[in-house]
Amino acid sequence: MATTIRTDLISALTTSLNTSNVSVSSELPFISGDTPLYVKNMKKLYLDEESEDVTELFNLLDNNDVYQTETTVNAYVCVDAKTQPGDISTVVQSVLDAKTSIANAVIRECSVENEYQDDKIIYTFEYRFITV
Amino acid sequence: MAIINVSAGDEAVLVLGDSAANANLAGTAGLVVPRLQDITINNSTGVFRFKTLDNTAESAVTTPATNQITMNVVVDDVAFFGDESNADVVVQTGLFGASKNKTRVYFNAGFQGTDSGSKFLSGSGFISGLAPTVNMDSPVWVTPVTIEVDGDFANSSVA
Repeated sequence: MATTIRTDLISALTTSLNTSNVSVSSELPFISGDTPLYVKNMKKLYLDEESEDVTELFNLLDNNDVYQTETTVNAYVCVDAKTQPGDISTVVQSVLDAKTSIANAVIRECSVENEYQDDKIIYTFEYRFITV
Repeated sequence: MAIINVSAGDEAVLVLGDSAANANLAGTAGLVVPRLQDITINNSTGVFRFKTLDNTAESAVTTPATNQITMNVVVDDVAFFGDESNADVVVQTGLFGASKNKTRVYFNAGFQGTDSGSKFLSGSGFISGLAPTVNMDSPVWVTPVTIEVDGDFANSSVA
């Protein structure tokens, strides 16, 4: 199977987080019943399937138009809010840094947001890549 | 009477060659300039104005025109740097070689494609104004191209 941005990210994250308190899962789908697996299995990072948006970069007179593809991938990890892993800030930084493992992209961005659910904190990462 | 709609993708065509024969729109010997973003054909006459005592407004006559074809293209490696195996000098050296070597370039600029009866302008001149540029916001090489026309345009139809 051809590698995708998602599989490349999983590969990079598996390497960068291998000594941390957070592991990486390639499982899809990651919902069991109504509960996402990342809530059920804390300290395990899950990556969602890629979303793609193809837009025209150059509209040309001979119709050989040039397109760009914007790919977004979301990643989730959940930890106990009261007793967070000691290396959580390093883990968050490593997940953000994994964006640089994707080759041939002109835009490589990643942002993180967090929200509380009961006594848990969920980190949601959004990777954004643009390729031509 | 009808508008000329170029949305089909094969209407606005520019063919270059090292001879008028090779630049034939319906031929295969010339360089069909690929990936045109836009093309402008300039036939800009000069104006000489003069005043006379018996007239309340200026008089004017036009003087010989400056003829140019300007365009912006997304750089295609073969069209820009040439195809060494081709016999036509313009195709062989590409847009960059023809500009650098100051090769006389014959052109046919088709308005309606290459079918019989389609209108086109032809002539010859020299390639100038290449300025390839790229940046990470627009990560594909693009360049303006100017053909400084030597002499007049001829207006014809594809045979």
